[in-house]
Parts: sequence; C-alpha cells; structure tokens
Amino acid sequence: MTEDITRRYIVQYPPEVSLCVGCNACEIVCGLVHEGRVGNSIRRIFLELDTISLEHHVYTCQHCSDYPCYDACPEKEVAMHIDEEKGIVYIDPEGCTGCRLCIEACPFEPKRINFDKTSKKAVKCDLCRTRENGPACIEYCQVQCIGVSDQPIPSS
Amino acid sequence: MNKIYGYTGKIARINLTTGGITLLSTWGYVPEYIGGRGICNKIFWDEVGPGVKALDPENKLIIMTGPTTGTGIPSGGRTVITGIAPQCFPEQYSWSSIGGWFGAELKFAGYDGLILEGKAAQPSYLWIEDDKIRILYAKDIWGMYVYDTQLKLEEIHGKDVKSLVIGPAGENLVRGAIIATSNENAAGKGGYGAVFGSKNLKAIAVRGTGCVTPANVEGILKLRHVMGHPLYRTNPVKYQEIFKPRPHINVPVEGGLKQAQVCCSHGCNQHCDLFLLNVKSTTSRTGRVNQVNKCVGVYAFQWMDDCGWTPAQTFVTEQNNNPACLMQSNAGTVPPNFDDPAAEVLFERHQGDTVNFWDADYERGAVINDLCNQYGINKWDIIVWLMPWLVMGKKEGVFNDLNLGMEIDPDSEDFMKDLLDMIVYRKGYYGNLFAEGMLRAIRELGEDKYGATLYRGRTSNRLPGKRLDIPISFASSWGYSYHWHGRGFQGSIDIAAWLPAILALMTSTRDSQSDTHIHDTYDYFCAVREEPWENPLTAQCAIMNENNAELKEALTSCDWQLPDLYRSGIESEIFNMATGLNLSETDINNAAERIKNLFRAILIRNYGRTREIEVREVLPMLTYPDADGKTVSEEEYNYLVDNYYKIRGWDLKTGWPTRETYERYGLKEIADELEALGKLPGSTSADLSV
Repeated sequence: MTEDITRRYIVQYPPEVSLCVGCNACEIVCGLVHEGRVGNSIRRIFLELDTISLEHHVYTCQHCSDYPCYDACPEKEVAMHIDEEKGIVYIDPEGCTGCRLCIEACPFEPKRINFDKTSKKAVKCDLCRTRENGPACIEYCQVQCIGVSDQPIPSS
Repeated sequence: MNKIYGYTGKIARINLTTGGITLLSTWGYVPEYIGGRGICNKIFWDEVGPGVKALDPENKLIIMTGPTTGTGIPSGGRTVITGIAPQCFPEQYSWSSIGGWFGAELKFAGYDGLILEGKAAQPSYLWIEDDKIRILYAKDIWGMYVYDTQLKLEEIHGKDVKSLVIGPAGENLVRGAIIATSNENAAGKGGYGAVFGSKNLKAIAVRGTGCVTPANVEGILKLRHVMGHPLYRTNPVKYQEIFKPRPHINVPVEGGLKQAQVCCSHGCNQHCDLFLLNVKSTTSRTGRVNQVNKCVGVYAFQWMDDCGWTPAQTFVTEQNNNPACLMQSNAGTVPPNFDDPAAEVLFERHQGDTVNFWDADYERGAVINDLCNQYGINKWDIIVWLMPWLVMGKKEGVFNDLNLGMEIDPDSEDFMKDLLDMIVYRKGYYGNLFAEGMLRAIRELGEDKYGATLYRGRTSNRLPGKRLDIPISFASSWGYSYHWHGRGFQGSIDIAAWLPAILALMTSTRDSQSDTHIHDTYDYFCAVREEPWENPLTAQCAIMNENNAELKEALTSCDWQLPDLYRSGIESEIFNMATGLNLSETDINNAAERIKNLFRAILIRNYGRTREIEVREVLPMLTYPDADGKTVSEEEYNYLVDNYYKIRGWDLKTGWPTRETYERYGLKEIADELEALGKLPGSTSADLSV
C-alpha cells in the first residue's frame, strides 16, 4: 500500500517519542468500549507482543481510501459504511452476516479486521466514531505511544 | 451456582502420570475464596495431606488467576502458583506469583486455573488452545534456556502463544529454580521451577480466542485513569552516560546506554520496570539482549551501600499518598506535597549502610542478570545472598578450606559465570551443594562458621561511622534472605515497618514481601516508632498488611499498587466491578481472614506449626542491629506476638486459631477436622508434635 490511498488511522510513534510498555490497554479498552468484553477475537487494534525483546508493534486498520474491505462486502450500506467526513470505513454489527469476505480482502498482514467468535461477526477499527473523547485506545494509552495519523506527534 | 462475571467458571485438572484431564467448576470456590491464592489454599487443603515432599509426584502445583485477570482492572494480570515449595526450609506449602500475559491468555482460553498433579513419564509440556489441552513431548525444548524455550514454543505454535517455562535450573531440580514468562517475569521464590522439573514438565503454552466479561465496564474505564495515579506521559527511549537506577548506584557505561520503562503484566496502568536496551549477554547468539531490571537485579551492577529508604515509601498521609510503582520506579515520581506538615519527615532519606561488597561494573551486572534469567534461577538467592556471602566470608577468612576449584571473586564476571554454571548443572560437590539453595548449603558446611561468623565491614550511615556487625549469611527465616527486615539487603527501613514485616514473615512460609510490603499511615508511624513491640498498633499493622496481601493474591493485584489507605474499600470495589457481586469492605476483609486462617490450618495440619516453632524461626534475626542500631529482645518480641495472636483470635500458647475464629470466617469444617486431629486449642488431646 502507498500513502496516497490511506486516510485517518491509528499510528504507533517511534520509541524515541514513546516506547510501548506492553500493557495491552489499547486492546483492552477497545474491547470494553465496543463489546463490554476483553479478548483477542474482539480487538480492533493489534498489539503484536515481542515476548523477549519487549519491542512491541501496534497494527491497525489503515482505513484505505480505495476501500477493499467495503468493496468485498456483499451487504454494502447495511453491514459496512464509509464515513467520508471522518475518513473511516466502519462495520454496522446489525447488518454484518459474518461472511468474512472483508477480512479476506484486507490487503495487510496481519489482517486488520478481526472476527468475533461470540457474535460471529467481523469487527474493525472505527476510530470510536460515536465516542465523545475519540479513540479509546489513545485516551487510555498510559505512555501516549499511539495517536491518530493526522494529529501532531507529542513531544517527549 | 449461576455464572458470575469476571470468572470463566472452569479449572482444569491435569494428571501428568495418567494423561487424564478433567474440569472442575470454579463456582465451588467463589465468592468465598475470591480467586488466586484463596482458591489454591482450599484445593490444597482438600487434596494434599501431610507427608508429601516438594518434589514428589503427589505434590500439586496449583496455578490460579483471579476475577480481575483479563478484565482491564489495573494490575489484575497476575497469576498465583502454590504447592509445596522446595526452597522452603523445612519444605512447606507456600506460594509465588507472576506477571506477564499468561494469566489473561489462560482466561481467554476458558480457564480460571490449572491443577497439575503426578509426573509425566518423559519430558513434556502442556499445549492449551481453548478447549483442547494436550500433553506433548518436550524433546525439542528440554535443555533450552528460558528465552529460547519461549521463542521455540512460539515457532511451533504461533507467535501469539503465551507460556510459563523453566530453564535448566528447573530441569536439574535446583531448589531456587523459577517459573518464568516473557522477559524477567518470574514466580521467583519457592523453587517452583524445580517442581515443574520434578514432574518432567518444561512449559505450559496457551492460546485463547475467547473473552472475559467484567460486570462494570464504565467503572473499570474510570478506574484505569485513577487507580495508583497513573502518569499518562510519554516513555521515550533515553540515552544515558551513567546507569543510575537508585540514588546510591552509579555505574559508568562505556559508550552509554539506552533505557526506558516497561510494564510487567496484562492490563496494568503503570510501567514501573526499568528496561535496558542492548546489554551484554553470554547466552544469546547475538551477544546482546534487552533486559528488564527490578528491585534486586540492579544490585548486581554495584553494591557498595545498601539501598536507602524514605518514610513516604511506607507511610502515607492524604496529601502524600502514592503507590510503590510511583515511589520506587524510574517512570517518574510525583513531587512531594510540602503543604503537608508531615512532608519533612516523610521525605527524609534514610541512607543505607555502607557494606563495600562490589563496585560498579555494568557488563558484569548485565551478564549475571542475564544468566539468572536464562538458567531460570532465583536472583534473590544469587545476587543478594550467595554473592554477598562469598564477599563477606572471604573478607572474614572463613573460606580458607572451601575449594571451589577457582579463586572466589564475585567481582569477576568470569567467576560468576563459572559458579552459576556449576550450580545450575549440579557439577561436582559444590555445584550440588549450592543447588540445594543457600540455607541448606550453609547448614551442610556448618552454620556456626559458614553462617554465623560476623562480618565487620558494615557501617551505619544513620549513626555515622558506627560498625554494625551482621552474620555473613543473610538468612532470615524459612530458607529465605533478608528483605526490608531492618538488616541485610534493603535494611535501612525503620523499626516501625520492619517489625510488622517480621511478624508477617513469622506466620508465613517464605519471605512475604512480594505481597506484604508494609504500608500504614503517618499517624501510625508517629505512634509506634519509639517502642513498637509494646504498641498493639504494630500487631494491627501486620494483620492489616497480611489481609491486604491475601486480597492482592486472590483478586489478583499487585503489591506495588495496593493497598490505597485513603481508598480503603478499593479491594471490594474492584472485586464488585469484575464480578457484579456486591461484597462490602467487611465482607471482603472477612474473605481475607478466611484465606489466611485456612493457610494457617494447612500449616498446622500438614507441618505441625506452633507458636514455639515460628517464634524460634525469626528470633535470631532480631538480635542483630538494624540501620539505627536497634534490636528486639525475645521478651519484647513475645509481648508483640501475644498482641498479634489476641487480635487474630489465635491461642496464645499454641498459636492455633480457636474454633470460634474458624467459625467466624465460615471454616467450621476445618475446625472439626483439626479437632479430630488434636490440632484445635483446648482439644482433649492437643498434639503439639511436628
């Protein structure tokens, strides 16, 4: 993917700005604010822990501007939507049938769309679009090592 | 019982002898025993009687999470491990706890805990993937270091698996062997790595795709912002020219170093662990590793002065009330509030004693820590007991006839490499001797000479220039070494704190300071510090901290974040947030008493614990001066023990809980069983035998 087809998304800052401490708060609060649960299959932000080096990587939906996941969805405008104003693609769980085609269409590895084992629906980052304080992962990151791509990097 | 939020509802029992795997319901144990160590104690009481040794297949290793684990409640990511501990002298039921991501992953897989019993016929490991639990042949990982084992399991089962593992020390049944996870997370005390080894168990790897559902999501989200006053500031990797983890440790580093902070367990909202990037390693293929350093590891780099202490680390006012993770860590400290009239006393630094053990060497410190991490051996036995013992014994001329086959020189990286290799692989007489742990080794060599010889190189900085002689062995009690006990390692603490700490040590089976660091109010400090053995508040302080420890290990939570003495109901708050139940502060304190008294009952039934045994165990350390030159006499200590037992509801003569005490906390059946054994105060045939 190239920069010109991405929109607003969560980024991880370099360690010189702030090193991820591996607390999982981003994943935890993501699950809590969206589903009221905590678990690997409902996270919309993916903290890939490096068990020994402790240099962890955060992977997130890039909200691609060519919408491959949206294009693959057989229930467009019911299960999956584009919010031009917020620069995001989001899933409406009411309409999602759990076909997983959006996951297959995600061009990234690891995939940035998850599949909730309990509800049998796809889940993906929506930048907490209905949340007054914005993305919960950013609000609850205790070391401010993630932010929204169009926002200034914090000073250390 | 219907499902309760926070728990998964299942505990897996794995018999390594037969390969049998069965499931127990968690609902048989909660809410009465809360979780973690509470459940462990009940299972152990029900299933393991007297006569079992630590390394017997009949010993059970009980691994338990708590209702907060995996819920996002800060510091709930910890896991408790209990069973008969090989490090303990004599062997007794004990515990250890561990951070990391394993506990949360185990709950995502659907289990609140595991009971390991029996012994596998060949080297094995457990592979847990949701509802599938398999015992697999460990031929590809047996013999590997701790980090390599974890990486190999990730290669076999996927990078996202989380594992508990042992290193060569556990395989070789070294009594100080740890169970480890991630980088520098360990169930360090107890020697449970050797129990894994005795069961032919190298590791437990788990992947869980399920979820944990807490009851009060909004409450948890609010709590994450306030519990322990988290810093919410950036954590840049910083370049430093000098390694200075404590005010009295200054280690020059050729070419400088890079450091930051990390957190130690799933869901914590603090990051109190010091993280060193790219340090020397003799175990890694690249020769470099990233290394986490906590309280004990930093002393491998330099130990000329003992660590200092400020009263604010232990005693709090409403205006100056910060948890240890902010007081002790390098993450950043909260400035003292000098509007507080107590601030001047609270923030007066008590400088530690000068001991002159070894001077600064960054590479030696890194290598010793790395070897301990990779071999999977307890740093407390090595860095703050074996090493200072070698230095003190050598200076006092004790080791003239101790032939290790090399010159004793703990200052030397090469000496420590060779010595650790000898111990971990049980090479020769001395390798086998020290593999039995420091206390057993010194008893074998002869305690009078090799343990009790006084070191004349300790001088006080509280009483400038005054010599404070101390034995060359830092043995405290039960096979463990000094730890915030007023002498030895971290000895600069005031008697108002170390005396209740010794009470807690006395009623335990191990150094209890992993969950019982003493905390109380500044008012308590002022009230008791002159003659603490006389004041009933000292016993109350010990009991409050012991009960808080039970809750930390049951919920689970962290000793560096709780208690919060100005939010005293926080333990019931977080329990209720996780579970949706409505336990009051009194209810949850009663649960803590229940868990403590059940632990007491195990010690009485299985090991014949009495007042005489436990008082005798701690008395010797009280006779050596603390950093202020203070000691406590046998008479004074027994006066304090009387107060402690009275408040606990334990018989003054035997130290046994009375029937009334057991029944007050819902333990009538325990009292009945003990009465039948003659182990209840007032029994017609009270049996004081061991």
